Amino acid sequence: MTDVRFPQLSQEQPDAEGVLATWFVADGDQVASGQLLGEVMVEKVSGEVLAPATGRVRLLVAEDQTARQGELIARVE
Amino acid sequence: MSVTESATAPAEPAVRRLTTARAMVEGIAQEMERDASVVVLGEDVAKYGGIFSSTAGLLDKFGPQRVIDTPISETAFIGLGIGAAVEGMRPVVELMFVDFFGVCMDQIYNHMAKIHFESGGNVRVPMVLMTATGGGYSDAEQHSQCLWGTFAHLPGMKVVVPSNPADAKGLMISAIRDDNPVVYMFHKGIMGLPWMAKNARSIAPVPPEPYETPIGKASIAREGSDATVVTVSLSVHHALDVADQMSAEHGVELEVIDLRSLVPLDREAVLASVAKTGRLLVVDEDYQSFGLSGEIAATVAETDPGMLRAPVRRVAVPDVPIPYARSLETAVLPTRERIMTAARELVRA
Repeated sequence: MTDVRFPQLSQEQPDAEGVLATWFVADGDQVASGQLLGEVMVEKVSGEVLAPATGRVRLLVAEDQTARQGELIARVE
Repeated sequence: MSVTESATAPAEPAVRRLTTARAMVEGIAQEMERDASVVVLGEDVAKYGGIFSSTAGLLDKFGPQRVIDTPISETAFIGLGIGAAVEGMRPVVELMFVDFFGVCMDQIYNHMAKIHFESGGNVRVPMVLMTATGGGYSDAEQHSQCLWGTFAHLPGMKVVVPSNPADAKGLMISAIRDDNPVVYMFHKGIMGLPWMAKNARSIAPVPPEPYETPIGKASIAREGSDATVVTVSLSVHHALDVADQMSAEHGVELEVIDLRSLVPLDREAVLASVAKTGRLLVVDEDYQSFGLSGEIAATVAETDPGMLRAPVRRVAVPDVPIPYARSLETAVLPTRERIMTAARELVRA
């Protein structure tokens, strides 16, 4: 099982809050390592969330929900 | 996002979703892989990836020889694109906002659009001019216009206006492969960008392989029998929302035609639908007078006005510049509320 964390977009504010903008996959989908899972945003900067491993993805944060950088947002089982 | 590493990699999810912006980039990237003559140039298209992410990641993949940031002179770099196209390349040139056409229109409509005619068909200009259109986010008069009617009015250019991710990719590939100059107009509101107004219809399944969406062919975005809504781009999303609501609340079934291309215009699709429903509403985020909505109405009137059971309705931007104030901007744009009111009047629901 591999954790997927909210990427660090703002280096100046390491615990800044952002938004889980888009999930491109659905909960329970099979994903391949390196595949684009979602898009997050801090202020107006957006970043990609890539699958760190191959397996079944579990989404832990809903679209449009806020999360802190570094926070656990999904797992790949 | 193709999975190519090994046979042990699991199949991709049955449905892979992309934003419209990512679908456009995928279309450009696949053509760049296939054809070395495809290059991308414009303001902030390389390092920044396009201010609306229409070229994001291309510099990393293809390098600065093929993905080129230009100085702020639209006349110079559109002219550069035309010259490159005439010499056999297939440039994709981005005009950051369509509103900026004012400083470079001579290159576009007197050169890009006319060289083929002037040369008696001997010289081709296979370029794509892509540009961001549309309002709804308080960017005011000089950054919110659609203006596709202006480009469609002037002969010599094809004009495509996708509304969703799958068409955005397919029309991009078709535009690049086309030997004519193609103006590719993307509304900022359909790009699926988290920092713009996000809407559910701008993130959708996109086939991973390269494919063409035919230029000049409309699609029936929703079938219905009571009235035809002819529209394009972001207004397709609004029209579909209104159609769902009218179906649920009034039992009225609207047919929504997404034109996808303005040049060539799929008049047959419009006529076939109006022949079926007898009622026509045109929704256009461009200015009302002398434009797309009048052209659609004229198409029906010239063919057989007898197929209409009610006068044609139009919801477009009244002939004023797009206001900055959100309340005033909302008043002039073809919102769901304005479409709903017009549709209800049209079918007397």
